[in-house]
Amino acid sequence: MILKTGEYLCLEGDKASSLYIVKSGLLSGVSNDCGTLHYYGPGSIVGEFSLLENAPREQSLRAVEDSEILIIEQSVLQSTLEQKPGWISSILTFLAARNHIAQENKKRSDLIQALPSLLFVFKSHLQESGSDNIRLSTLCECVAAINGTSVHDVDKLLLSLQDLGVVKIQGEQIQDKVIRAESLQIIPLLYETLRYRALHQKVSPNILSMTDQMVLSTFIKLARESKAPLHDGLYAISTEQLKSEAKKSMHGFTLTMRTLAPLVQKQLLQPSSSYDIHAPLESIDFFYADFDKILDLLELNRIFPLLDKKLV
Amino acid sequence: MITGDSHQQIIPPTRSRVKAGFVVFSPDSGKRNIVILNEGELVAVDRKDGIRKVVFTMHPGDLVGVAALLEREKFQYSIEATQDSTITIVSEECMESELKTLPVWLLAVIKNLSTKTHRLKDSLHSARCENTLKSLAEYCSHLKAKTTYPTAELIREFHWQTRIPEAAIQEDLKALARREFISLQDAGNDSEIRIASPLLLRIFTDYLKATEHNVPWEPFQLSLLQKKLLIKLAAADHTQKKDAPDWIAYFKSKGLDIEVSEWIRMLRFGWLDAKSETQFATNTDKIKYYLAALRFENNIKGAL
Repeated sequence: MILKTGEYLCLEGDKASSLYIVKSGLLSGVSNDCGTLHYYGPGSIVGEFSLLENAPREQSLRAVEDSEILIIEQSVLQSTLEQKPGWISSILTFLAARNHIAQENKKRSDLIQALPSLLFVFKSHLQESGSDNIRLSTLCECVAAINGTSVHDVDKLLLSLQDLGVVKIQGEQIQDKVIRAESLQIIPLLYETLRYRALHQKVSPNILSMTDQMVLSTFIKLARESKAPLHDGLYAISTEQLKSEAKKSMHGFTLTMRTLAPLVQKQLLQPSSSYDIHAPLESIDFFYADFDKILDLLELNRIFPLLDKKLV
Repeated sequence: MITGDSHQQIIPPTRSRVKAGFVVFSPDSGKRNIVILNEGELVAVDRKDGIRKVVFTMHPGDLVGVAALLEREKFQYSIEATQDSTITIVSEECMESELKTLPVWLLAVIKNLSTKTHRLKDSLHSARCENTLKSLAEYCSHLKAKTTYPTAELIREFHWQTRIPEAAIQEDLKALARREFISLQDAGNDSEIRIASPLLLRIFTDYLKATEHNVPWEPFQLSLLQKKLLIKLAAADHTQKKDAPDWIAYFKSKGLDIEVSEWIRMLRFGWLDAKSETQFATNTDKIKYYLAALRFENNIKGAL
């Protein structure tokens, strides 16, 4: 087959069942997924998966110069394989399947890899602008510049974050789309938690044990019902209240100095007097805490394991 | 049809019957074979740390060892029969002799599939972005101005985000420092990075993007008249709103006689924003951007 310069051999998505071999000339190939141009000179082959599995064309192919193309139809493949031992065909199937697995792994890895950059750009924008949103086009442009991430991957990540209630995608047209953070603190917290895990190879202090989360949830419940005035902007809950509510909501669990120690160490709960782990809990009258900070941390602890699951 | 050398003698594969418990392949043997299961059942066993763990089970028609044979990948499991089984073993010599009889295009298909998979696997550990300097400049443009960051930690964080090798990051940091967009400072045992201007880093990223796409970058394409207009706009009261004829008259009063085409170009540059259907006011951010680009042209082009 002879192609004149500028002529198209096929378009991306075309139904196909043949292989192209470039005998002479030069073809260029481009796909919507990856904007990069690929060139195919003499000896190059394109369309293995169309030949083996009737897969649609992965790229639009166009002649950069006058080119001669040899087309291998599936019938030729079949008649060739019929003359060969069966395991040759099995090897082809195996290699194709292995390539699909590698492609899937690569897609997943790219998605996971793009998340920190996306969160980083988003959190920096929130902190710098003081607003609660970023334009999708800006976010895509910045993440692409840092990490070469495709718009498609950014979209996918944002949909996952939206499912988890972290962001809300607003607007119909792509150029008008805006990504709104549901809470101003969650994006920075999520980034910091992932960053800590990656850089220190251990779980971030932001990730709390189940007991700590239950104690803090109890505190939040009491703070919501409380009519007591704020103490330096912090909610104050009496030890007695905390203990009795914990017993109710934590299935008979008894709070002690030891169980509260991690939260005191992380300064999430502040005791009204000096904290001695060996003293009875009743030696402390009140515990103070920043309501919003706790709420954000609890939200982070809800999201974090789900995010890992969603992406991995 | 183009074919390989079909006159080569073909070495046939070995077909054998094995009893349950027989070790068909051991990773220590150093052999590279494809094992095809015809009848029975085989399992791939991992014996790492002395613990026997079945990794996968093979059923009739399944095969293992293709990657080991074609791509020299190490096959790390042993293959054992769990039932009396019939197997076919394709040795390296057998495979080679058979491949030589295949048409060249089919050999190319096998090679292409193998190479593509290899490339995909390699890319899992490599950076996705092609221009590492642009990537770092973009990253640094999101950091706070006039703030210092420990170099080692910044490199690790950026490497985590991008997988760009640390040595390349260090080189790119020097390139940004040479352009005076950041400064590298010694702080005792560790060095620190100070971000001079996030705006300049953003401008530099945009310049690199345009260069990559072989697109002329507008701030460096301005005519003398456009530069003069820019300076006049920078000095204008940014709260002032005027319609197009008034703005043109304003420029005339400043000695800059402009055509409507020039007015349209200014709008395209984003120097003026439409505040209503007819009223326009200066866009200070855009003007600042163009002015900084012009002022630091040598830094941006790396011609210091």
